[in-house]
This record gives sequence, C-alpha cells and structure tokens, in this order.
Amino acid sequence: MTQSDMTDDGRIETTTEGDSGSADPEHGDEELIETGVTAGLEENESQTFDGRTIIESRGLDVYYGDEQALQDVSFEIPEKSVTAIIGPSGCGKSTFLRCINRMNDLIQNARVEGELRFEGKNVYDDDVDPVALRRRIGMVFQEPNPFPKSIYDNVAYGLRLQDRTDDLDEKVEQALKNAALWDEVKDRLDESGLELSGGQQQRLCIARAIAVDPDVILMDEPASALDPVATSQIEDLIQDIAEEYTVVIVTHNMQQAARISDRTAVFLTGGELVEYDDTDKVFQNPESQRVEDYITGKFG
Amino acid sequence: MSADTETRSVPEFGQVSRTAGVVFRYLLLAATLVGIVALGVLLVYVAMDAFQPFTADVEWHLTYLGVAVLPTLVAGAYLYWRDGPGLGVAFEFFGLGSVSLLFAGGIAALFIDLVPSLVWLGYLIALVIPILLSVALTRIDHVVPFWVRFLAVGVVGVLSLIGVPGYYHSVPEMVVQIPIVPMDWVILAVTLGGPMAAVVGSLFAGRRGRSAGLRAGAVALVGVLAVAFAGPFLGIDRVPAAVIGAIALVPTGGHVAWTLLERPRERAGLLVPVLLVAGIAAGTVVVSAAGFAGPDTWLTWEFVTGLGSGIGDPQAAGIYPAIVGTMMLMIVVALISFPVGVGAAIYLEEYAGESRLKRIIDVNISNLAGVPSVVYGLLGLGAFVRYGGLTPGTVIVGGATLTLLILPIVIISAREAIRSVPDTQRQASYGMGATRWQTVRKVVLPRAFPGILTGTILALSRAIGETAPLIVIGAPQIFDLPTTLSDRVGAMPLQLYVWATTFADPAFYTTVLAAGVVVLLVVMLAMNSVAIVLRNRYQTRGES
Repeated sequence: MTQSDMTDDGRIETTTEGDSGSADPEHGDEELIETGVTAGLEENESQTFDGRTIIESRGLDVYYGDEQALQDVSFEIPEKSVTAIIGPSGCGKSTFLRCINRMNDLIQNARVEGELRFEGKNVYDDDVDPVALRRRIGMVFQEPNPFPKSIYDNVAYGLRLQDRTDDLDEKVEQALKNAALWDEVKDRLDESGLELSGGQQQRLCIARAIAVDPDVILMDEPASALDPVATSQIEDLIQDIAEEYTVVIVTHNMQQAARISDRTAVFLTGGELVEYDDTDKVFQNPESQRVEDYITGKFG
Repeated sequence: MSADTETRSVPEFGQVSRTAGVVFRYLLLAATLVGIVALGVLLVYVAMDAFQPFTADVEWHLTYLGVAVLPTLVAGAYLYWRDGPGLGVAFEFFGLGSVSLLFAGGIAALFIDLVPSLVWLGYLIALVIPILLSVALTRIDHVVPFWVRFLAVGVVGVLSLIGVPGYYHSVPEMVVQIPIVPMDWVILAVTLGGPMAAVVGSLFAGRRGRSAGLRAGAVALVGVLAVAFAGPFLGIDRVPAAVIGAIALVPTGGHVAWTLLERPRERAGLLVPVLLVAGIAAGTVVVSAAGFAGPDTWLTWEFVTGLGSGIGDPQAAGIYPAIVGTMMLMIVVALISFPVGVGAAIYLEEYAGESRLKRIIDVNISNLAGVPSVVYGLLGLGAFVRYGGLTPGTVIVGGATLTLLILPIVIISAREAIRSVPDTQRQASYGMGATRWQTVRKVVLPRAFPGILTGTILALSRAIGETAPLIVIGAPQIFDLPTTLSDRVGAMPLQLYVWATTFADPAFYTTVLAAGVVVLLVVMLAMNSVAIVLRNRYQTRGES
C-alpha cells in the first residue's frame, strides 16, 4: 500500500509499505497518489492543464552500484506541457530523465526499483521492450550529437529505423519546420549535419527526435553547450513543440526553467524530490526552506 | 619617486644552470638518431647491392641526372618556395601512381597464373546474384518477414556459388560451359574497370552533377578497354594491360582530372611528375642512342618474374614464386582474419557486458598478441597438420597459421577503432529507439570502418614478413609457383631466409638476397602506405 502525505516543510513524502516495484497496480492506489500530490496544486489555480497524466513516478529508487542516485521519487507529469527538473549537480535529475526512456539500462551497474508509469504502464515491467518504448519517448542530449551523415539522413534516421519510409521527404521537411530549422537548411540537406553551428546542430537533434512523432521528448540540459542567442532559439522552440508534445527538460539554469516550464520539480542532493509544483509557485513561494535557499542561490 | 626608480641599479638575479637539461636533450637526440641512422645505413647497403649503381658508366648517371632528376628537383623546389599545395599534388600523384601500379601488377599476376578470367567472371556472377536478390527483397518493402528473406538469400547464395553436386550446376560451372564467351581481356576490363569507373563517376557526380559523373565513368571504362586493346603495341599482353588500366590508370587519371578541374591553384604540381616521366623517357632515348652502359643491377624484370630457385647460381634465381605465394597467403589470411577478428572485436566492444570472463579474455588477447611467432607455427602444425590432416606447407595451412598469428592484433586494433566512436553517437542512436544491431550497423561500423581497415592492413603487413611459422609448418625451401590452395607454398621472407642460409654462399649475400629484400620492403611499404593514407583521411574527418 502506498500513502502520500505532506510533511511540515511542505515536502511530498511518499511512504511505501512493502515492495512497490512488484505491487499490483490497483486503481485505488493511483487515486490516493493523485489526491496526495495535487492537493497542493488545487489551491493555486493560476495554471490550468488538461490534467491528463502521461508519466507517473512512484517510489522510484535508482542505484549505481552501492550508491543511491534517486530516493523514493514520486510525482506526475501532465501531457502537452513543459516540465522542468532543476537541482544542483549530482542530484539525480538526469538519472530521473534517463529512467523515463530506460536509457539507464545501458549503464551496466544501474538498478531501478519502484515504478515509472508511462501511459499507465510501468516501463520497468518485464513485458516492456525498451527499444519500443524509446520510439515513443524521444531524447535530446546535452551535447549536440548529430550523426556524421547528411542533414536529411539525420532527420530520417528514426523513421528509417522503424521502416516508416513512406513520404519520407515530407516528413523530414515537416520535422525540420517544426524544429525551426527548415529555412536555414532547405538548400543544403545533403551537407553533413556536423557542418552546422552548435545551435543549429541542437535544433537538428530536436528535429531528429520529433520526426518520428513521439509522445514525449526528454531534454537533458539541451542548451548548456550553446551561446545565449542559440539558447533563446531553443527555448522558444521548446515552448512551441510543447503544444503537441510533452516535454520534460532537465536544466541547471533556473532562469531557463522559470521562463519556459509550466511545472517545476526540484531535486536536491541525495536524489530526493523536494518540491514539485507549478513553476510560478516554486519560484515565488516555495514550500520548502531548502528549495528557497537553493533558488535564491544560498547553496548549490 | 621616478628619479629614484631610474637610478636604481639592475638587480642581480643570478643564473640557473641548464647543463643537465642540455645534456639530457642531446642524449635524447642521440637515442633517436642511433636507430634511424643504423637502419638508414643498412638500407643504403642493401640498395647498393641490389642496384649496383657503380657498374654503370658515369655518362649514364650524368644523362639521367641532367635530363630527369635535376629538372624534377628544380621544379619541386620552385613549387616548394612558391606555393605549398602544388607540391602536395605532386606527391599524391607519385604515391597513388606507384602504389596502384604495384597493386595492379600483383593482381595481374593472379589473373595470368592462378585464376582464369572466365572462372573469375563465374564467381563474380554467382556472388552478385544473391546480393541483388537481397537488395531487391529489401526494396519491395518489408512484407516478407526477415527470416524468410534471410533463408531465401542464403539458399540462392549456396545454389549459385556451390550448386547441388550431381543435380544442379553452380553458376561458375555454368559460366565456364558457355560456348561463346568474351575474350579474357574484355572480361577483366569490364569487371575490374567497371567498378573503378563507377567510383570515379560517382565522385564527379557528387561534385559536378549527374551528367558529368556519367561522362567521367564512361570515359574511364572506355579508357580501360582502349588501354587493354592497345597493350600489345606497347609490349604488354592485353590481360595485364586491362588490369593495369583498371587498377592503376583509372584512379591516377581520375585524380589528375579531378585536380585539373577542381583544384586550379594546385594544378602546377602536376608539372613535377610530367617532368620526371618525360625526363626518364628522354634519358632512355639518349642513353640507348649514345650506347652508355647502365648499372648491372640485380633487381631486374627477369629477377622479379623468374621462376628459378637459383641453386648454386644467383643469376638464375627469381622471386616470382615467392611473390605469388605471399599474395596467396595474404589473401587467405585477409579472408579469414578480417571477418573473424572484426566480429570478435564488435562482440567484445558492443555486446559483451562487463564480466569476469570478458576481463580474462581482454588480458589474454593482449598477451596473445605478444606470443612469439614460432609458437604460432607449432600451433598451426599441431592443429591443422597433425589433427586436421592437411598436407604440411600448403597455402591453406600457411594462411590459417598466419591468421592465428595476427588475429589478436586485428582484434585489438579493431576494438580500438570501435572504441573511438564517441559514446554520444551510440546514445543518440539508442535514444531514437534503435536496436543494438541497428546502432552497430548504422552508427558504429560506418564510423569505425576506416580505423578497422587500417589496423587490419598493418596486421597483414606483419604477417607478410613472418618466416618462422612457415618453416615450422613445413613450407618447402625450394618451391614452385603455387596455383591452388592445396599447393605447397613459399613466401618472400622464406625465400630470403633460404638464400641466406640453405644456399649459404657469398655469391648470394650481396646479390639476389639484397634484391629480394628490396622487393619485400617495397611490397610492405605499399601496403603500409594504404593504411597510412586511410588513417590520415580518417583523422582529418574525425576532427571536423
């Protein structure tokens, strides 16, 4: 059984009794969690969402060998919105992101306990194929990492992987348009993706991710290697694509989170989720003293 | 205040001794030079023995110096001072021309003595059929499940290459039975020149449009046919002329055309090779007209193509059987070690997780790379001759033994190349929902391939110089030209060893032995130069 509770410092504390990882998902549980987490939100009506939850983390623990990277993380991410995850270095924010599409599977000694639900299905269930999962959850990385192929082949990569090569030209064009890159590259689709500038490369990576039309796009500090102009282009782009896709973005840049996200999750050292709420609330009136200290720059 | 500063005397900082550093520096320089100078002196001695330059008339030297060497050097020096890139083109031309000519010579030898061109055509067709089938099956969408396609291609491949003995002829057998066939040189000109022309054509097409590419390809193919046809008028048979045209002239000519069209600033560099070739031609005319005697060299065409072992008479010795033997061994080694070694490397890098077993394998592969070659010879003798029941000293046994020898090196270098593919590339691919197989095939291998090829070539050039394993597996000391895989075989280093020991006679030491060393070194350098060029291209591309 799982119970949620608000502690004195406003932290959402989820106590899990028994092994939640293998616990049978009962509807009652979900409702309990939902009311628990959203209890704080309903007072703050400034933001409105469709409300449908697409990703839901429940009592998630991640270990790298003996070291615990995430501690009992539980929260829900609504669809078609931008959710930012902020926190100091080493707080597990990237780890959480990589749990969503099971990229942590590629790390030899990583171990995940608890549940991470995507569209209601625990992605760590035995019958989930991580490759199929990643085809629905795209990812953009910190360093722009286009393939040493042409711009066209970069964008077409995911579609070709899935043999979805009908109308390839139109799909590539659409993806590049959605990534606000089409006008800059339409005359040189044959050139190598590596010949673009850093900001263009990152938008190419975003185009590559959205070309396969995923449900969710995960971004791991997508602008941290870019200059301010390219960063603001990426930020505009993120807000645009959030109309169609659910975006989860990890950033160490708090202003960026404040600018672009609808909801913000703050992870603090030790891999615990300390606060999760509407972005305005988190930045203007955080419940937790530790979060306030972090946001005002007293540590981290 | 300021006056005070001006009048202040220059302070004495003293001196810090650098004696130890200077001594150390020159010791390092000496250490560097010892090896290089010793090797250089040795090579000069060998070259002297092989070419015997002092037996030529002084006039002969002066003629070539004046007509060929000096103009080339002057032009080179001019280019060096005036514009750097032009000289680079000259070197590219020399390198590409001479290395491709060497390879063309080797391949021509294969077609003259080992593989009838009709058999070659048969196997080529037999191989193309399943490849075409697999491409076609992939094109008509993925309606057919993978295993059906795999099975179909496999069955067709086996039928086409091997056939069913007694019931159904394989494609090579059928091709050989065709009553009317094109002439040998036409087959070679088309099968070798065609792909080369396609490569040249696609290069031009990529830069100057489709029609230019088609024209370039057509010119190249027609050129090969013309060269092959005209061969006899220049004193070369049509078969070697076709091979030389396809393997040497098309790439070199393509390079020249490319330079003329695409790199106008560097055109001048082509002057240097033109001067050299014209100078040599002019020198030859002058020398033969004036009757100057050339050097009494040991490295002659008769030596390179001679079949004799030369017992007791260095004049009758030829290195041709050893050259062909080495080539056959290298083909066997390459065909086995490349798939096996690269396969192992891919498995260890991309598939095997961290485990105790993998660590044990890691350590042991490194150790195996250092095991003395004679031990591998004994292993080959035991495995293939004693237990495998194969005849000692044959091409297949020798090739398999040398494969064992270089397999660890191939694996290590291929792993190095695979590891050098940035992990961000794999992450990007996996993040897109690629399977491991898709990631390896579409991202890792294309990027690692030049490195893998470089490592394999360098490993082959280690195998080419091995003598001990061949002696141990029973390669004969006096051998004939091998023509099939089950013939007993010798190789160049073995031939040198035999001339230096079994025929121990001062008449051999400074004569054919030196000439043989030059041939072996030239072949090795040609192989290594391919590896070096590949590596350089790879590195510059990796940085961009």
